[in-house]
Amino acid sequence: MIEKIKASKSEKIIFLFVIILFLFSITSFILLKNKCLFVKNYDPNKINFDNPNNIAILNVECGNVIIELYPDISPNGVERFKTLVELNAYDDVAFHRVIKDKLVQAGDLEFGKKGNIDYGKIGTGKSGLGTIKSEIDKNFNYTKGSVGLARSLRYNTEDSQFFIILQDEPLYEGEYTPIGKVIFGLEALEKIKHLDKSEYVLRPDFINSLKLFN
Amino acid sequence: MKLFKFILLCLFLISPTQADTIYQLIKIPNLEIYNIKTENKLRYLNAKQAFTIGIDNNINCFKSSKQDLDKKYKIIEKNLNRYSQNFLRKINLKYIVMCEDLSISGINTAGIPDNVMKTLIVDIKFNQEYFERVLHHEVFHIINDSYKDVFNEKIWSSFNPKEFNYAKCSICTKKIGLDTYSKPDGFITEYSRSTASEDMAEVFSHLMHGNLPEVIDPILKKKIEFIKKGLLKIDENFIL
Repeated sequence: MIEKIKASKSEKIIFLFVIILFLFSITSFILLKNKCLFVKNYDPNKINFDNPNNIAILNVECGNVIIELYPDISPNGVERFKTLVELNAYDDVAFHRVIKDKLVQAGDLEFGKKGNIDYGKIGTGKSGLGTIKSEIDKNFNYTKGSVGLARSLRYNTEDSQFFIILQDEPLYEGEYTPIGKVIFGLEALEKIKHLDKSEYVLRPDFINSLKLFN
Repeated sequence: MKLFKFILLCLFLISPTQADTIYQLIKIPNLEIYNIKTENKLRYLNAKQAFTIGIDNNINCFKSSKQDLDKKYKIIEKNLNRYSQNFLRKINLKYIVMCEDLSISGINTAGIPDNVMKTLIVDIKFNQEYFERVLHHEVFHIINDSYKDVFNEKIWSSFNPKEFNYAKCSICTKKIGLDTYSKPDGFITEYSRSTASEDMAEVFSHLMHGNLPEVIDPILKKKIEFIKKGLLKIDENFIL
């Protein structure tokens, strides 16, 4: 006859601990694996825009980032951006420069394309459309979510690269051509891959697509 | 206590490097914003710690006290407010860095202009007597560096007597006096005799500061006209 053995109190505690540990491990694994878990994905079709002609939808790993463009502030900059968006030029282009909680930069169409990245030259590529003049005369508050065109050390060298800031940057006013502002989905950009030791990202995240709403 | 220090060290080691916007823009470390809400959009920054820049780290400047900064900022702003936003954009000047004991390779200097980085570093404790004039002097170097063709040194040197030669550089001479000559002989101060660029900057700074000598000799007259014409070529609305 098999004698039924009752678990002692300490055995019950250990068993409970193992179960909790298991649940904790599984949860942590899911959380770590899915960086987009708590990021809301905005559907642009469910949003009423005041000016739908100036809305761009940037799709990244964690969802849609909805950008309102400001042609009144920088007509040439916005025109260049729209031209490239309409050509689908930004699709599969890397976020090659990412500074945690500060900015994400993408748009190197020459050296930043998925499958054709040149880490030695990324950030220096051109669009083939030439550079445009900086448009920095109008007042613009570079608050969190602002989108600007990147340039070299000199003015009037803007081309295809753009950045989106993840914190207020008052010193950027008058430095960089502003083209718009993220109105929904900035959280998705906060999840873009960054490195702690370098602004330039090895094996970076990519833009899935960048399209105009209308 | 040891454990506390260890935890602190660990936190420091694992903390990610945060990018410094000011450093990104003008490549000078250890600065903070003093005032950026100005009429002509000049951005005033100050050293929050000593900084070292330049080739072989040969440029040094140190932090100033809040009291000194507040006092000197008023003077600096008053003088630099005379330059319009449009003019400043044309000459490529945007950032004023305020610090003290500024030196290049161990030699104290009033200011270091860098028109590429749109920056003028100002030693707020340099020569109290001529501080305001010196500010304009340094601004001229920015102007000159941006418009070398307008302020052509060969044309300028041709105004001088034939036998006169400038030194090879501004620190290659002992002619560094900043006192304004009461009876100038083509040169407005002793420092004017150092180089063509310094000579121009001295004339410009006297024009801006409004303390030209009462007697102006024919050479100096030509030099003043040259500077005035040059400024109007850059900005027809420039007011001296």
